[in-house]
Amino acid sequence: MYKKVLKFLASIKLAVIVIIGIATLTAIGTFVESKYDAAAAKKLVYDSIYMNLVMGVFAVNLIAVMVDRWPWKLRHISFIFAHVGILCIMAGQLITNQFGIDGSMRVGIGDENRFVSLPKTDITVYSSYDGTNYSKIFENEVDFFRSPPTPEKPFSVYKDQIGIKFTNYYPYAVASRETIASDNQKLGSGIRFQISNGQANFIEWLVQRNPTHVVSIDLGPLRVHFGTIPLAGMGVNEIYMKVEGNKIRYALFSKDQIDPKNEGTIEEGQAVPTGWMGLELRILRFLPKAEEKWKVEPRPVPTPLTTEAVEVEFQGKTKHWMLINDTVKFFADDAVFFVSYGNRRFDIGFPIYLNQFHMEKYQGTARAMSYRSVVSIKDLGEREISMNEPLKHNGLTIYQASFQDGPMGQPVASIFSINKDPGRWLKYLGSLIMTLGIIFLFYFKRLGTGVPANTPAKES
Amino acid sequence: MKSVVLSFLFLFSTLASAGVFQETSGEALRGLPVQADGRVKPFDSFAREMLELVYGKQKYEKRDAYEIILTWMLAPQTWQSKELFEVRNFDVLTRLGLDTQKRYYKGDELFSGAKFSELRAELASKRETKEKLTPYFQALQRLENQYFVFSEIATGRMIRVLPPKEGDAWISVADMQPGPAQEKFLELTKSFISLIGGMAEGRAESEMAAAKTDLDQKVLAFQELARAENPEKYANDTKIDVESFYNRFHPFKWSYIFYLLGAVIVLFSWITSKHGAMTPAWVFLFLGFGLHTIGFAIRSYLMDRAPVTNMYETVVWVAWGSIVFGGILEKIYKFKFIIMAGALIAAFGMIIADTAPVVLDPSLQPLEPVLRSNYWLTIHVMTITVSYAAFFLAFALGDIGLIYFLKGEAQNKDKIKAIVMSIYRAIQIGVVFLAPGIILGGIWADYSWGRFWGWDPKETWALIALLGYLAVIHGRLVGWVREFGMVACGVLTFSLVIMAWYGVNFVLGAGLHSYGFGAGGVEYVTGFVVAHLLLVVYTAVVRNARLKDVKA
Repeated sequence: MYKKVLKFLASIKLAVIVIIGIATLTAIGTFVESKYDAAAAKKLVYDSIYMNLVMGVFAVNLIAVMVDRWPWKLRHISFIFAHVGILCIMAGQLITNQFGIDGSMRVGIGDENRFVSLPKTDITVYSSYDGTNYSKIFENEVDFFRSPPTPEKPFSVYKDQIGIKFTNYYPYAVASRETIASDNQKLGSGIRFQISNGQANFIEWLVQRNPTHVVSIDLGPLRVHFGTIPLAGMGVNEIYMKVEGNKIRYALFSKDQIDPKNEGTIEEGQAVPTGWMGLELRILRFLPKAEEKWKVEPRPVPTPLTTEAVEVEFQGKTKHWMLINDTVKFFADDAVFFVSYGNRRFDIGFPIYLNQFHMEKYQGTARAMSYRSVVSIKDLGEREISMNEPLKHNGLTIYQASFQDGPMGQPVASIFSINKDPGRWLKYLGSLIMTLGIIFLFYFKRLGTGVPANTPAKES
Repeated sequence: MKSVVLSFLFLFSTLASAGVFQETSGEALRGLPVQADGRVKPFDSFAREMLELVYGKQKYEKRDAYEIILTWMLAPQTWQSKELFEVRNFDVLTRLGLDTQKRYYKGDELFSGAKFSELRAELASKRETKEKLTPYFQALQRLENQYFVFSEIATGRMIRVLPPKEGDAWISVADMQPGPAQEKFLELTKSFISLIGGMAEGRAESEMAAAKTDLDQKVLAFQELARAENPEKYANDTKIDVESFYNRFHPFKWSYIFYLLGAVIVLFSWITSKHGAMTPAWVFLFLGFGLHTIGFAIRSYLMDRAPVTNMYETVVWVAWGSIVFGGILEKIYKFKFIIMAGALIAAFGMIIADTAPVVLDPSLQPLEPVLRSNYWLTIHVMTITVSYAAFFLAFALGDIGLIYFLKGEAQNKDKIKAIVMSIYRAIQIGVVFLAPGIILGGIWADYSWGRFWGWDPKETWALIALLGYLAVIHGRLVGWVREFGMVACGVLTFSLVIMAWYGVNFVLGAGLHSYGFGAGGVEYVTGFVVAHLLLVVYTAVVRNARLKDVKA
């Protein structure tokens, strides 16, 4: 019985089937990646139970076939090397997957960062009774991509004791901000205003987080602030507004005088001239209590504009969409809850400071030829990281991955890929052993194919 | 050895007589340095690339690209009303309200109406969504590009001929300030116009010769002035000359002609068993190989890198590998059909590379940042693609094997046995290159991205191809793959290579190897794969029927 099982596990027939199985699964994976993206292919195929199963059988088959050929002879050398090499590579990859770190870090120019963002996602909940001191009350890893919450089967925090649950999830959604009226007295107000003349036209929302919050926007020729009216301006053309009962009090400050040049009240639908370039201020909408929400629309496939979105419900009353790495605040009668959904952040133990970012272009074009970051790291001093020239420090390797463009098209931040690979040495060792096996295969051409001497391939 | 010496004597005399070593009179304009696409190149290269983009060919009605491009600038109105723009997408043509049966259209009919603006707006809003472009939008994108290139050349903004005193961007014809440079260029164009005009009127030879010399002098005069402007930027004369020579000489075209001739003679020698015919066959194959290698070497020299970074370049490299592997296996096993298969693949590859420029872009392009100055990259790509050459050889041998199975298994037992053995050897060679090639790719990825294996579609499909061939090799051990099986597998498993090589970039279009993406030719490649599948199925059916007859 034992022998029969070993014979089966060690059979080349099983090997052929397993090889074809792996090839088929990975082929499916590439089509999934083509339709969706790399993350989807990884979750749905490459890290799936089927893939692990087939890989497991493959490993058993490789080991069994070597056990079966015991005692080994010289002619087995290439076959042993090739198979041991493959096993080492697989073991190395397993270690990498289990214990390695592979994440990304964005560092702005002249800024620093010490947290790597990892692909894993967590739900975290903080609570506070006084609104200032928060304590973490819940933290849990979630994989909404694989097991998305639904209204019927939501993901609840603490079995729904505090009433926070996630009820919906879109892996690919296009999100836009919308402002709606609320009856929550802890919220601030919101206004939608228009500033226009014949040529220029700005329409914007300004929404306070709470009644004392000041929110501002820079429109180029002038700035608009909502929430306060100061005694003196800041030396530029400014409009200040604040709520006064059912109306809005406004004050206009010119860049060349300190006192307000014009002051008064205005209501929804009304307009006042600003006196600057014929611009007119009009209040299109006034919400005494307003809240900003994400409005999301699902998409069937990802694009660079889509993002993950999850819907969270609080005590059956309020519902909010959150995007990944987003937070939302809920107000109960006697407490405030702060909920976050986002990538796990890993502290690498030292900050990376980005001094400069350089990009070279091909002559006379806007095409990037190469880019590099000049960083400062404690203990190391100033170092350079460029494409294909990573930096190694504290067991981590820091690679130049890409960069982020600012609104004017100039780079504003460098994006590094940060990684720790404890399985690397095994993969390299395995590669070496396997390559030696292949070289031996040619060297002992007739001996090394792993064929038992008594069963040559017979032609019909 | 004799054949090698003969080959090169022949080659040299042919080249010398064809005059490729010298520029013909009146053609100095070809070598005028211009800046385009991030490098300085001869005007001839620039003109070929632009004509290719607009018209789909490197010549227009037998006239050279450099002539055509310059006249775009001199007489744009005339060109607007010529059928110059290649448009092949049915939907785009329907939207423009044009006859869908033609291939070339006038600028007037394409761009003058409001419909073109509508389509451009449509393309712009599609781009805004950042979704992948469907073939329709890719075709629109090409149309917009054609429009852009034509109008930029017509206005002279894209022909950058004068190196700047400071900075990187060369000064275009349109932006030249009044002064000596502009005057010299004006003289050049005047001389060009009188030459062209003279040719059109069919003036006497002697008069034309004078006009040609005059143009050459005017070109040189402008070049002298441009060099004085910024000698440093004008310094790579040798490269410009070599590139100009490469364009004129077109070594790859000659190489496939010689490969084809060689293959035909081998076929003749094989069928008639006339072994004496092998000497001329080898002469032709060596010639083809020599020219192929020279072309490859020139490209390496021009770009300072191994030319294996896009589909066109890998096709050239695989063709090179197949003739090398074919030659080596022929030397070992003395089966003429091996070198014939090698030569046929090489010729096939080079013909495709030469005749499908829209799909396989032959222009010398600068590299993406991640691909620069990294020798692991070169090694891993060359190792993997050269394994494709061995598998391609196995595929062609498989085709020959299928023909023998159809002709009759019993009568051709020896030949089939030899073919099966050769296929097996070719597959082994392929595996020996592909497995380390994939590992080298892993090492490069680890070094550059920090990921040994990231399930990127390109690397994954290379792995799938490897697994496919490993399954064949192991299947042979247990008797699942015998003679017919090996022939069929040689043909069918190559589909995996086609997927890894072509399909990932042109069909899947996903992953980190995005610098190699392209479009086009999918229907032909699919047809090629399906036709071979049908051939295998047909042969299997015929063979089974025969076997049943024998048993009955």
